[in-house]
Amino acid sequence: MKKVIAVLLLILSFFIIYFLQSNFFTWFTIARVQPNLFVIFILLIGLFAGKKVGLVLGIIFGFYLDIVIGRRIGVSGIMLGIIGLAGEYLDKNFSKESRITIILMIICSTIIFEVGTYIFSLITLPVTVEILGFLKILFIETLYNVIITIIIYPIIQKLGHILEETFKTRNILTRYF
Amino acid sequence: MNRNKKNGIIGIIITIIILIILVACTNSNVNQLSFIENIFNVFVMPVQNGFTYLKNKISGNDTFFADMDTLKEENAQLKQINSELEQSLRELEVIKAENETLKENLNLKQKYSDYETVPADVINRDISNYSSTIVINVGTDDNVQEGMTVIADSGLVGHIISVTSDTAKVQTLVDTASAVTSTISTTEDTIVVQGTLDDKTSLKATFIPTDAVVLQGDSVETSGIGGIYPKGIHIGTIREVINTSNITDRYALVDTAVDFTKLNTVLVITNSETKK
Repeated sequence: MKKVIAVLLLILSFFIIYFLQSNFFTWFTIARVQPNLFVIFILLIGLFAGKKVGLVLGIIFGFYLDIVIGRRIGVSGIMLGIIGLAGEYLDKNFSKESRITIILMIICSTIIFEVGTYIFSLITLPVTVEILGFLKILFIETLYNVIITIIIYPIIQKLGHILEETFKTRNILTRYF
Repeated sequence: MNRNKKNGIIGIIITIIILIILVACTNSNVNQLSFIENIFNVFVMPVQNGFTYLKNKISGNDTFFADMDTLKEENAQLKQINSELEQSLRELEVIKAENETLKENLNLKQKYSDYETVPADVINRDISNYSSTIVINVGTDDNVQEGMTVIADSGLVGHIISVTSDTAKVQTLVDTASAVTSTISTTEDTIVVQGTLDDKTSLKATFIPTDAVVLQGDSVETSGIGGIYPKGIHIGTIREVINTSNITDRYALVDTAVDFTKLNTVLVITNSETKK
């Protein structure tokens, strides 16, 4: 029951983030570049709630984004699924109690997501290759994501632990005792 | 522990301030930052004046002070003339803008009178930095189909790439996957305009014929070739022609007629087949 409520709250949070991304962050930009809140959101779900929840919610949310506004169905779904899946592996190898490691994880996830999406669009759409323009946007977007992560870090820690207790209680017991 | 918490909060506040400054600086015009320039000038100018004085002294320029009064007088006269000229320039610009709007309206009325259009509102914008699509609130229920052309009062917006019963997804001109065959209205030369990642307010015009004379300010319209867009819809004006060492590689930057950041209402052309 607790898990169902948590998933529902995560879905609600997704819509709040979607609203922020499509309204507030369309004008609150750094050099006309928006952050990518979905990458942060899915990575944190993967980190704190585990790979299953991360993967499933990543795919569902990604597909939703593709259907609503994307040019090709599937690419965001696959990439966000990968980010959600990677969350648990990152959790096993790095400490999420440190601000620096969380920031590094966000940097890597943003780069993986955007490079993957860009390569996919280069293959499937008649898009001209613009490496320099792409790198410029990617750099600003990653920087913006890092700034947001620093700002919301205390919230991440608090909500993250609640999420972890809800989804990973058994894991923690087997790991430490 | 308490101290750490305090430091953390201060860190967050500083980051928020940095973010706001970054957003404000990167989105504002350089002209609006003139007050910062003034502040810097207050500190820099006295030093610079001192250095200039020393330099003139050393190079034996004794006329520095003698010419001062004449220069001041001349400067005041020039300033007055300048302000008068600026005033008349502003008036002329207002008249020019008014004239252009009237011309545009007249042209639009004549140009698009044969098309049947469905008005629509923009209800969603792209959330990605790498593409530019919009969602409008008309669909198959309003006879809107895939591939139809979407225009705004100032020019071409794009075409419909997918449609549901009450919404339609539009790939705009500035999307990186968009390429439109168009003509330069003055010379009738055919070019291809494409969206770029760099700038979401302009397009890159390529495949410019080697013998074509492309000038800044030339109007660009759809050519009707390619089967998606009807002929003669205004796309934008040429801002700059970039010449490369090889003339076949030269390209131009086209300012779009439509401001995609402020686009709220559009028209979908439902009978463009008749105009092809």
